[in-house]
Amino acid sequence: MHFNFTEDELAFQDAARRVSADVLKSNAARYDDTRNFCAESLNALGELGFWSMNLPSEYGGVDISSIGMSLAVEEIAYHCAATCSSLTAHFLATDSVLVGGTEEQKQALLPQCAAGEKLGAFALTEPGAGSNPAEMRTKAVRCEQGWHITGTKHYITNGAFADFLVVYAKTDEELGHRGISAFLIDRNTAGLSFSQPEKTLGLRGSHIYEIGFDCVVPERALMGKEGAGFATAMEVLDRGRVEVAAMSVGISRAAYNDTLAWSHDRVVSGKPLCRHQGIQWMLAEMHVQLEAAKLVTYKAAAARDSGQRFSIESAVAKLFASEAASKITDQAVQIHGGYGYISDLPIERYYRDARITRIFEGTSEIQKTIIGRAITA
Amino acid sequence: MKILVAVKRVIDYNVKIRVKPDHSDVDLTNVKMALNPFCEIAVEEAVRLKEKDVATEVVVVSIGPKAAQEQLRTALALGADRAIHVQTDERVESLAVAKLLAKVVEEEQPSLVLLGKQAIDTDNNQTGQMLAALSGLAQGTFASEVVVEVDKLQVTREIDGGLQTLELSLPAIVTTDLRLNEPRYAKLPDIMKAKKKPMDVKTPEEMGVETNTRVSLVKVESPAERKGGIKVGSVDELVDKLKNEAKVIS
Repeated sequence: MHFNFTEDELAFQDAARRVSADVLKSNAARYDDTRNFCAESLNALGELGFWSMNLPSEYGGVDISSIGMSLAVEEIAYHCAATCSSLTAHFLATDSVLVGGTEEQKQALLPQCAAGEKLGAFALTEPGAGSNPAEMRTKAVRCEQGWHITGTKHYITNGAFADFLVVYAKTDEELGHRGISAFLIDRNTAGLSFSQPEKTLGLRGSHIYEIGFDCVVPERALMGKEGAGFATAMEVLDRGRVEVAAMSVGISRAAYNDTLAWSHDRVVSGKPLCRHQGIQWMLAEMHVQLEAAKLVTYKAAAARDSGQRFSIESAVAKLFASEAASKITDQAVQIHGGYGYISDLPIERYYRDARITRIFEGTSEIQKTIIGRAITA
Repeated sequence: MKILVAVKRVIDYNVKIRVKPDHSDVDLTNVKMALNPFCEIAVEEAVRLKEKDVATEVVVVSIGPKAAQEQLRTALALGADRAIHVQTDERVESLAVAKLLAKVVEEEQPSLVLLGKQAIDTDNNQTGQMLAALSGLAQGTFASEVVVEVDKLQVTREIDGGLQTLELSLPAIVTTDLRLNEPRYAKLPDIMKAKKKPMDVKTPEEMGVETNTRVSLVKVESPAERKGGIKVGSVDELVDKLKNEAKVIS
């Protein structure tokens, strides 16, 4: 298998690389340090059309392949994983509308999302329902004005900054995951309460919130059919996992490149680090992990582009690339020694930012479950 | 008015240049290429003039291998209307480029031709001036400001020790300096739309322009590696070394 990227894909990679190096890089350390939301960087991406990458042109998108999108996501994560996380969370929200929304919802909302005017949040996870969404307690009950939604979601990326939320709730508690439906809710709806942003280990510029719901939304807020929410969420997560893999590759590549350059400059016992065999072996391991992570990511993206089911490919990519990111950023800190442990260099930030990729959008263990069930079916 | 912008494909300015082992040239294998930054400024200026309704059409032209179409597409994504690619795999020196551009100017009859003041690969800084001479048009080089009036142009030039403002009659040739403007980023939808804009491909032979080289490249060498500094123990030692070793003071 080999990949010849198309002219479009390379142009997107180049465009992303440029804005990432010129704009995102200069904000990244500040976001990490102050824990301020990555608004400037995210909006800069919005103005240039990057919020539209997951959408077809009929809804204001750009019709780029999943490979082209992955290449761009990788470049964005290379300089600011926090901005990348907020962007890919927006994709989870707009993918939900694209996959599960009504035609009216798509027409009304997606073009504005593509244009960088409306930011989305994807609200699935709850304090008592992470790896198994079927355990969710948030419920939507029919009422005179439409639906009465009550419950609590947490770890919701973009939460208070979003213009709209895609909220998954039980419309039938007897039916397990088949009783889950998705709702499109305006952020300013009365009865939504947002926590302060959580104090996270990494991705500090990308805020996550706990959100309380006790609100009434109109009938038209229901996305598609009642009970279709779980299927929508699973398809959206299949797509999202390719992006997490691409993001992991971006962080890994930054850590690897910085470390390789460092190994040439830093002299220990009379010669550069890179002339010590022990360090060469570590660099070789990082290189192999990175190359393999890229390949599984591009393969998953190609599988997504093929139009076939790609649950296994996306789980493989997400599992491998996120685990690789943890290993690579760990080795990056190790090779930098004390310099990798202090915040003068971005190395410790890469290490912290990489950690969540093994947890969100399905933990590594959940990916293994998905893969294990599929290959033994 | 119609504006013609000439652009060149060069090594990306972020790339660390490597010389081929036999010193015959710079090694371009697997090197990232990009639009010459000064050319990008020229494209930006033309697009701004179009946005101000001063220009009605922006045509970009590039001379070079097939891959130069990538840079033309970038210029189209930034807002140019159509492209002309003069395709050649030969090394074309400044005079040949100027002759080819003069031919394009003759065919297109633009009111204004914008070029970068130089390309960051060979840094010749010749093409604009040669084109002006060949076409018999007024030239304003190293522009840091361009103001178009009805049938003339005010060009502010960055010169040693200050600024000089010239008034040129149109049609004219202007080469751009670094501070003329700050180019925009291409938007993703425009990158996709750029594919649909027209690109005319021709060769120097078809244009009847002779591009023989008069200059041959003899040898390319990397700059000498910078030697490490030394620490001096006292001001006297420093003065002594500046006088007797570096010989920069007497």
